[in-house]
Amino acid sequence: MSASLPTTQTGAPQGVASPAGTALRLFLSNPIGLGGLIILVVLVFAALAGPQLYGVDSLDIVGMPFQPPGDDPILGTDYLGRDILAGLLQGGRASLAVGFTSALITVVIGVAFGSLAGFFGGAADTLLMKITEFFQTLPTLLFAMVLVTLFGQHLVVTTIAIGIVSWPPTARLARAEFLRLRGLEFVKAARASGAAPAYLIWRVILPNAAPPIVVSATLAVGTAILFEGALSFLGLGDPNVMSWGLMLGQNRAYALDAWWTVMFPGAAIFLAVLGTSLVGDAFNDAINPRLRKR
Amino acid sequence: MIPILSVRDLTVSLKRASGTVPVLERLSFELDRGRTIALVGESGCGKSMTALAIMGLLPDGFALEKGSILLDGEDVTKVPPARLRALRGNAMSMIFQEPMTALNPVFTVGDQICEALRLHQGLGRQAAMERALAMLKAVQIPAAEQRLHAYPHALSGGMRQRVMIAMALACRPKLLIADEPTTALDVTVQAQVFDLLKELQEEMGTAIVLITHDLGAVADITDTVAVLYAGRCVEHGPTLEVMEAPRHPYTRGLMACSPHLRLGAAAAGVPEPLQEIPGLVPPLGQRPPSCAFAPRCARATDKCSAQDQPPLAAISPDHEVSCWHPEERAVA
Repeated sequence: MSASLPTTQTGAPQGVASPAGTALRLFLSNPIGLGGLIILVVLVFAALAGPQLYGVDSLDIVGMPFQPPGDDPILGTDYLGRDILAGLLQGGRASLAVGFTSALITVVIGVAFGSLAGFFGGAADTLLMKITEFFQTLPTLLFAMVLVTLFGQHLVVTTIAIGIVSWPPTARLARAEFLRLRGLEFVKAARASGAAPAYLIWRVILPNAAPPIVVSATLAVGTAILFEGALSFLGLGDPNVMSWGLMLGQNRAYALDAWWTVMFPGAAIFLAVLGTSLVGDAFNDAINPRLRKR
Repeated sequence: MIPILSVRDLTVSLKRASGTVPVLERLSFELDRGRTIALVGESGCGKSMTALAIMGLLPDGFALEKGSILLDGEDVTKVPPARLRALRGNAMSMIFQEPMTALNPVFTVGDQICEALRLHQGLGRQAAMERALAMLKAVQIPAAEQRLHAYPHALSGGMRQRVMIAMALACRPKLLIADEPTTALDVTVQAQVFDLLKELQEEMGTAIVLITHDLGAVADITDTVAVLYAGRCVEHGPTLEVMEAPRHPYTRGLMACSPHLRLGAAAAGVPEPLQEIPGLVPPLGQRPPSCAFAPRCARATDKCSAQDQPPLAAISPDHEVSCWHPEERAVA
């Protein structure tokens, strides 16, 4: 074997590359992914620390409506005279929270359905996939609007609604991965060493199915932020919580006269979605060696 | 003393829309502690199916029709799933053919050896890791301390098969099934793996069911041999007796196909050209109740295809053969 083995006797995993470690290194060496990560980190930091640092409540009326960007409120005011920058900072909290939480809901429901269907096959697969197809055939935006109308315009309702309408593609992805992996030799070997179904699903197959699911989850964050924007734009957002979508929705009538009222929240959404997309793509490249250029 | 493994009348069939098709028919053999039995035969003869039936891992569509499989007196065909899982990897374990894909790529070798130990023997992480390290040393992996933290992709095929053996034997099973453990390996590594199995068997007293095409290894490390043809056992007996004096024409054909086995008088003189058995194993569903080997057999007569295949008949105390026209005992 290799002559240059590490000689430490401590058993420390020295010089041993784990698949996850290799992927992380590749991800960080990719300027596109790093750029996306920087955008996201800046946005999250601004949303978390910004409101305290800036010190203006996004729902307070600070001056005349439609003040253009300039010196006092640096990004101007909206149709009620509220500070746009305060809205961006505080709205970022809601938009990003909705994005990440709905993506999490998407992944949890999707992986639950997909893994059980793919692992057990047969009647379970048929039943679970019929349910998935039922949800998939509903027009997502319309279905989310119905849910919000039924259960109230509340941020929690919006988040759950986005998660509920978005999970079917993740379920199909997870199912495909489980179908592929369950027949592989190492799964058979684990079965032959006495592993129970729950153990096989959770500890043997899922870690191997994780890469594409993580990529799709990352992309789902961006989609969910857009979705929240769309719902709020249509006037179905939570009116008591500032979000980027709400800013767009409430100011959309004045977009032609006061561009700054919609331009800045629109740009914030654009950046957040761009950031998650770049990170997702870079993840995909790092995890899937066959797609790598070199 | 009851045998570690006793397979009785094992019959497995494949359920198809057109009806059930027999895959294994009335297979019986016994295996004592510390002994090794070889299952030999061409591909498609039911060797791997026998292994999977013993492990209770028959693929979808295959069903155990009748028969029993006693593991140390316990019928594994009748135990509930939870008990079966407790036996797998603990009392009986299996080594697969493809070491390149039989290890989970996202966990370290040490973690994977630990799994069975923690699952079946309730060891803590630290204790399991120590046992895993001891197992890696037992299977003669160099620099075992480092390998413990290596991922499978960093190991060669031979190393991975050693890791598989370490995993399979970690709980000191009573029975080890090795399904073509060396087929995917280099010839020099094959010999090492067989030697290792033999050594560990002597140390642990594990009984081994060895499925292989390597007749040299069969002669080398097994005590008895069962020759399967088209899902039926056609000859069964002590390895040396069967290999020196095969009585079934199929067994004789298999021996003649082997380029490296020359025992006794055959070792001297000019080697004969390598033989082959004409034809193929009949596919599932096209196996008559009469002798399935008859169409390929030089000794076949009308009787062979007119009457059902005869049951295994003893021709010496331990040696049985199922043939209407067994070969004469070779003159030594």
